[in-house]
Amino acid sequence: MPRLEREGLSVDNMILCNTLYGGMKGRDASDQETADKWEVQLRKGCLELAILAALWDGKLYGLEILRRLKSDSDLIVSEGTIYPLLSRLKALGLVRSEWVESDAGHPRKYYALTPAGKQRSREMAGIWSRFSSGMSRLLAPLAKEK
Amino acid sequence: MTMAGDAQQRVEAYLGTLRQLLRGMNAEDACEIVEELRSHLLDRVAASGEATNAGVDAALAALGSPEELAKEYMTQNLLARAEASRSPVRILESLFRWASLSAAGFFVLVGSMMGYFLGTVFILVAALKPFHPQTAGLWLLRDSTGDPEISLRLGFGSVPGAGRDVLGWWIVPIGLLAGCAVVMLTTRVALWCARQYRRSHLLPRS
Repeated sequence: MPRLEREGLSVDNMILCNTLYGGMKGRDASDQETADKWEVQLRKGCLELAILAALWDGKLYGLEILRRLKSDSDLIVSEGTIYPLLSRLKALGLVRSEWVESDAGHPRKYYALTPAGKQRSREMAGIWSRFSSGMSRLLAPLAKEK
Repeated sequence: MTMAGDAQQRVEAYLGTLRQLLRGMNAEDACEIVEELRSHLLDRVAASGEATNAGVDAALAALGSPEELAKEYMTQNLLARAEASRSPVRILESLFRWASLSAAGFFVLVGSMMGYFLGTVFILVAALKPFHPQTAGLWLLRDSTGDPEISLRLGFGSVPGAGRDVLGWWIVPIGLLAGCAVVMLTTRVALWCARQYRRSHLLPRS
């Protein structure tokens, strides 16, 4: 304590510094958290369209949809997310499902777009391309900076 | 594809727990969910090439706990059918299910029941006015302490002593319009609440 005072630091100051530093660390962490949350929300918002788009060329079963999303986009989807979402899309009448026997020895549940699902996919794809080209124009100066 | 007895047991235990947790859903849907996940697990374990306990555990872990998965199914399906049909009966049906899941659902259920009740009463009063021209309608009454009170009366019973029928025959068009408007508004608000709840409770796990 006396040494600290010689150096012009009081304990009070130290506590203050610590608090400030702690606060700053907290802010950095929450900024990072906000950015992560934003990315999560962004991905979540795209997931429905991504699934509908994966089904555009024909029927697929759940695991195939997961693989398609993984290979054609870097949308990493947890397996526990996609099945409930598929059941919702079915309840909304955007996809229909059928059980098909497979060589593997067990039936698989295939999903295909309904006419309403096709219509919805087209609408969403249109909105997406307008949105993304607008964002790209807006972000062009940031890309140049790199 | 066959699994070792122990691995098979783990899968069945997981699916059994899930089936229990999904019992709020209709039986056919729950059964289909369980069958689909069984098929998924068989495929996934086969693809990983190891039908061992470790392979099965990895496949189960990727799906998340049965509790998480069941909650995700229930929340995703919340009002999805009702949203597609927009019928008050379907909506109330789904709201009962939601109310069993969370307090938010309970409040939305109570609010919606009040909304649908008010809308129905407006429509009933309008419909009964031709049969009870003297008594049905929107009445301004005095209660026992002399304070004014508004009362929608279906018209069964006697003419109220102190008070007047405010709208007269206008209750027919106004009642029908107001009734339909209240019912539609209730539907919209209920669906909006369900959407908000779904958005705030469904962060993808990855």
